[in-house]
Amino acid sequence: MREDDDPALVRRCRDGERSAFEQLVVRYQKPVYNAALRMLHDPQDAMDVAQTTFLKAFEHLADYDPSFKFYSWIYRIAVNESLNALGARKSLEAINGEEPDEAPGPDTQVEGEQTGRAIEDALMRITPELRSVVVLRHLMQLSYRDMSDILGLPEKTVKSRLHSARMALRQDLLRCGTVR
Amino acid sequence: MWNRPMTDREYLELVHAEIDGELDGGQRGELARRVLADPAVRAVREDLRRLCAKLDAIEDVEAPAQLRTNILQALPVSATPRTRFHWPAPRWRYAALIAGVLGATALVYETVDGPGPGSAEVAGTIAARGAPRTLDTVALGAGPVAGRVSLYRDGGGLGVAFELAASAPVDVLIANDGHTIRVNGLGRTGTAKQRTTVALPGSGTDGSGVVELTLLMSGREVGRATLTVPAEH
Repeated sequence: MREDDDPALVRRCRDGERSAFEQLVVRYQKPVYNAALRMLHDPQDAMDVAQTTFLKAFEHLADYDPSFKFYSWIYRIAVNESLNALGARKSLEAINGEEPDEAPGPDTQVEGEQTGRAIEDALMRITPELRSVVVLRHLMQLSYRDMSDILGLPEKTVKSRLHSARMALRQDLLRCGTVR
Repeated sequence: MWNRPMTDREYLELVHAEIDGELDGGQRGELARRVLADPAVRAVREDLRRLCAKLDAIEDVEAPAQLRTNILQALPVSATPRTRFHWPAPRWRYAALIAGVLGATALVYETVDGPGPGSAEVAGTIAARGAPRTLDTVALGAGPVAGRVSLYRDGGGLGVAFELAASAPVDVLIANDGHTIRVNGLGRTGTAKQRTTVALPGSGTDGSGVVELTLLMSGREVGRATLTVPAEH
């Protein structure tokens, strides 16, 4: 990804060149969609959030501070929009400490693809705040510095939150028999 | 921390740091000794390493093919700064963005409250009248509906002209002079703004005051605007 010319694209957008914004969409639609998908676990909701993210970015380009990386800025919008969407989902079960629904027992433990699915399901059973750090770190492969910028939190807090998230996932997967 | 033994929590921090590739030589040695000596730490370390490896291995999926098109179609026609128009919280966007694409504009009038206009007043209110004079205009450019709304006066009284583009049909409640009328199906022409005029019932030639507009998408309020009749009118 050639993020080094993002500032130039943003400048051209601000000057009214819509094709420059289209280039940003092409460049970031996949990671933004994937971040939303992992946060929401629903392709349609993820698509809605991705669209909203880009529309918000377009509307607020004038507020973008070029001293930050563009992708940090747009991922921040994506994470916040995902959290908003989750907040609107009344049926969401926030889980730490609760028994997951329909958890498979150790005898149904399987490897490979199903284990991956079990981990994705477990992601949905930790709180959205914990999930967001896992998504940024492990699925988007971002540094703690970038995560700090995106979440607006000190790096130390980001680390602490990620550690808590990993432990919560481990506990959940142990209950399901997926780990070990 | 020089002479006291590390706590379990501190060892756990080392495990996380190891996964993140942030251990220095001394810490690596410390952790290795503890892992050898303590099966519980060893088990946690193995679980976390396996978990993180699986998380790292989750593959990205391609964004849906229509995502880019939908985004570009939903962009405001102009990036006009916000004026007197207020867009409320972002929930409207989900309804607006999911909504389908564009069709012919159909207008439906209904009296919502207040004294209803007589049939003679309603009839022909969509027709443009000659030589209207614009009294006030509000630009819409930073929300789900792009374009502008103007208050005008012509020989028949006050009227509101809509030049809107939106990704979904827009219904408008127009409140003025004790009447509220509803106009359905505006702005369904995507990026091409279509002008639609609506005469305000009961305004006559001496109408004055303010005209309150409420914009709706899929039944949800997406914004409000106020048009003002200048004092001299």
